[in-house]
Amino acid sequence: MRIRYVKNSLAGQLFDAFNIILMILITFVMIYPFWQQLVVSLNVGLDTARGGLYFWPRMFTWENYRYMLAQEGLLRGAWISVLRVVVGVSTSLFCTGLLAYVTSVKWFSARRVIRLMFLITMYFGGGLIPFYLLIIRLGLLNTFTVYWLPGLFGAFGMLLISSYMHNLSDSLAESARMDGCSEMGIYLRIVAPLCLPVFAALAVMGAVSHWNAWFDVMMFNPGGDWDTLQMYLRRILLEAEMLNQLLADQRRYDELRRLTPVSIRAATTMIVTLPIVFVYPFFQKYFIGGLTLGAIKE
Amino acid sequence: MISTSRSSAVKVDYRQKLAKLGRRVYKERELWFISSFAIVWVLIFAYYPMYGLIYAFFDFFPGRTLAESRFVGFDHFIQFFSLPDMLRILRNTLVISTLGLTAGFIAPIILALLFNELSNSLFKRFVQSVSYLPHFISWVVVASIIFSMLGSEGVINEVLIRMGMIERPIGFLTEGENFWALITGANIWKGVGWGTILYMSAIAGVDPELYQAGAVDGLGRLGMAWHITLPGIRPTILLLFILGAGGLLSAGFEQQLLLGNPLTREYYEVVDTYVFRYGVQLGRFSFATAVGLLRSVLGLMLVLITNALSKRLTDVSII
Repeated sequence: MRIRYVKNSLAGQLFDAFNIILMILITFVMIYPFWQQLVVSLNVGLDTARGGLYFWPRMFTWENYRYMLAQEGLLRGAWISVLRVVVGVSTSLFCTGLLAYVTSVKWFSARRVIRLMFLITMYFGGGLIPFYLLIIRLGLLNTFTVYWLPGLFGAFGMLLISSYMHNLSDSLAESARMDGCSEMGIYLRIVAPLCLPVFAALAVMGAVSHWNAWFDVMMFNPGGDWDTLQMYLRRILLEAEMLNQLLADQRRYDELRRLTPVSIRAATTMIVTLPIVFVYPFFQKYFIGGLTLGAIKE
Repeated sequence: MISTSRSSAVKVDYRQKLAKLGRRVYKERELWFISSFAIVWVLIFAYYPMYGLIYAFFDFFPGRTLAESRFVGFDHFIQFFSLPDMLRILRNTLVISTLGLTAGFIAPIILALLFNELSNSLFKRFVQSVSYLPHFISWVVVASIIFSMLGSEGVINEVLIRMGMIERPIGFLTEGENFWALITGANIWKGVGWGTILYMSAIAGVDPELYQAGAVDGLGRLGMAWHITLPGIRPTILLLFILGAGGLLSAGFEQQLLLGNPLTREYYEVVDTYVFRYGVQLGRFSFATAVGLLRSVLGLMLVLITNALSKRLTDVSII
């Protein structure tokens, strides 16, 4: 509780009441759209189409989820999304951490040059099209590699990790070096375990951005073989053809007649969103830690 | 005699230096080996695309090398300025980013000040956490949510019709004139809570003694917010404003690509989506590179100008 130095006047009390009401309103505006999707996804599609469904499912059902979770495209998308998060986060943390370590070894003669090479990339870049042409030239179009290789090293992560390493004592690493430990061994066995907090913050941020990415999927995987979950949802959302294909089964099976585009879209939206909503309360502090750390560094 | 001895001394010196360098590199061999991967990577993925900017001055087509392409100088830039599209996408870009830099910029400041006035810390933390949530949700999901809230059969239209306030649904998503309000609203909804974080940490850094002194001088709560808290976070505000002004020509593209449709293209097409459409979808690489380069150069100039202005007027600067 904050200390107040002045007595709260009547106007102040009125303001407090107004402020609390406003905050409740903001909470509602932030949460309700998700809640509404949840309600629609748990309601019988044909019933939703009658309208008037706002706060609670009227005809509760799991059938929207059951139908979507049996779709091969969605399952494949989910699998690719998870793979992308795991591979993308682990490779980039390992490599960026290694870069941060190498550039913080004080007697390494190239440390400043390498740091500078990466810092420049924070301010200048080639832009969308030259990067796209590079990806084509490297033969990375329509591959899974395009999800993790271009993000292997990062200047922002390097700054964050090396500012953390800066505060560690050199003596541990030095004595290990005396004992003949290799640089890789020092990084993996001594430095990296001490940097776990900053790795955790970066891992959480990286995981969310990999999970949410869709533009690079659309751009670099036009073939659709490596569609992630976000891309799957985008197709349902914007490509009428995809939705028609999905609902084509309906004509064949009687029990699917209650599904509607709105209801299966809501179910897919929830499937894409729920992982984030579930992990969010546990990881919130890492997000904020990462943001404020980065802000101080700049 | 003298000269030979001198030259041999130089030679020895040179050899010694080389040997010293060799020993040093040998001692650092592991570090060099590890770094070589990072150096190769950064050269390929960061510096090669920068070199690729010269495509903007050629007539490049895929399948050809740069040497086979015709050098056209500034033709692509001139062509861009002579296209009727130019004014439209420049207008959209500037309007959308200016709305972001005014309404979208002030909203987190006001929200942070309001958060700061909440006395129940549990309630405060709860509202803060909830307000950050949309930041972590992808634009695809946000678009899906917006479609079901604002679509012609969406919740808002339905409620308005039931209340008898409108006869037929409002085309939030289908009428071009509504697009700017739509995208600004979506940006604020998604980003306002997250935007408060830096302001909140700046507010936490304001010296408590100032509030005590303010109380002695008879300031009320409004006075304290206006005369102490707001000046206390002024450097943060200016810093974020300089950064925002540098992005005046980047009005986002995910939002436009998801929320826009052929009916609203007149109003949603911005520089970035234009580059994407011409470069990736239509294959006019050189032209799109030129437009992208133009945007980056103008953006850099904007940062430098606002930075210089801010330095002169308020001595806050980022460079």
